[in-house]
Amino acid sequence: MARILLFGLGATGSRIARQLVSTGGVEQLEVRDTETAVIESLVPTLGPRVEAGSGREVDPRLDLVIVATPHGTQVSLARRAVTAGVPVITTSNQTAEVRRLLELDREARTHRVPVIVGAGFMPGLSCLLARHASHEFDEVDEVHVAKAGTGGPACARQHHRALGTTGIDWRDGEWTRRAGGSGRELVWFPEPVGGRDCYRAALPDALLLAPEFPGVQRVTARQAATRRDRLSAPLPMLRRPHPEGGIGAIRVELRGSVGAERRVVAFGAVERPAVAAGAMASAVALRVLDGSFAPGAAGLAAVNDTVALLRTLAERGVKPVRFEGLSTFG
Amino acid sequence: MRVVEEAPMGGGLLTLIRRTMLAVGAGLAAAALIRVRGTGGVAPQTGGWRELRGDDLT
Repeated sequence: MARILLFGLGATGSRIARQLVSTGGVEQLEVRDTETAVIESLVPTLGPRVEAGSGREVDPRLDLVIVATPHGTQVSLARRAVTAGVPVITTSNQTAEVRRLLELDREARTHRVPVIVGAGFMPGLSCLLARHASHEFDEVDEVHVAKAGTGGPACARQHHRALGTTGIDWRDGEWTRRAGGSGRELVWFPEPVGGRDCYRAALPDALLLAPEFPGVQRVTARQAATRRDRLSAPLPMLRRPHPEGGIGAIRVELRGSVGAERRVVAFGAVERPAVAAGAMASAVALRVLDGSFAPGAAGLAAVNDTVALLRTLAERGVKPVRFEGLSTFG
Repeated sequence: MRVVEEAPMGGGLLTLIRRTMLAVGAGLAAAALIRVRGTGGVAPQTGGWRELRGDDLT
């Protein structure tokens, strides 16, 4: 039976808490959030195994720490967990923060703990699906990921910022800076989201994917946006973000070769982003608790046994899809 | 006797400012047009999404 500490009870964090308490293997879940009102309203609804905590200290006797706090606050909490010798799962989707979390690799290896970077919808499930799809190739040349929709307010703010900020792609063996809001492309997501115009943005996915696919030529990430989103991207958000966005989707496309044949494979998923992120993080938590992750800092594209994790995820209600009939993409 | 009309003091400067603003405005309008317009791709004509089945997860 495991003892888990969860930082952050926003749209994603509250879903992680609910998913974890529905799991038999969790003995105690301590939740911490800077907003006392959130703690007071949520904790009583989560059952007797959940208790409220405070502060930033990490008890070395814990089995796992999950960080689902707003972007920009996750590195210091993750470092505290690593220093205490406790495995940690993070949910950040901010480029600079993901880079700093990946830099915890040496520290994590020294303390022999895994640091899972970006265990959400995208990055997270997108990285896992990319790794899963790569098993069908002899050689992967290109990985292209895209997402539509946002989770809670923090996610919506990050989405807005990302569209107006320079992004990074991996192209021909080097990092390339790309203007946010450029590179319009119609991406076909699973129904009911369907076709959406997607653009480059400050997304961390290439940072997580490129190192895991040696020899890959191109890694790109895009996010869906409307024309109004693009025009208002350089400005502050004009309206307060909604408590939670609607249905969202991700699409992961790999291009490569199988023998002499060129092949394209596309996977996707459709779900409310915060729900999917909560399910993904809790599924990863269960796999971390059973010792499936090696020490070091990496994203979910580093997972070898993708099937086991996808099964755990499916049990938690998120079932990925794949596109069949890709001749028109070839 | 010839009378030479001269522009009022600062007239040249105002013209310059007006023309600059016009040029900047036209540039912004063109940039906005390029940013919001454009053609998308082509939706897939065949195939479709299907949920991962048991044999996909073995």
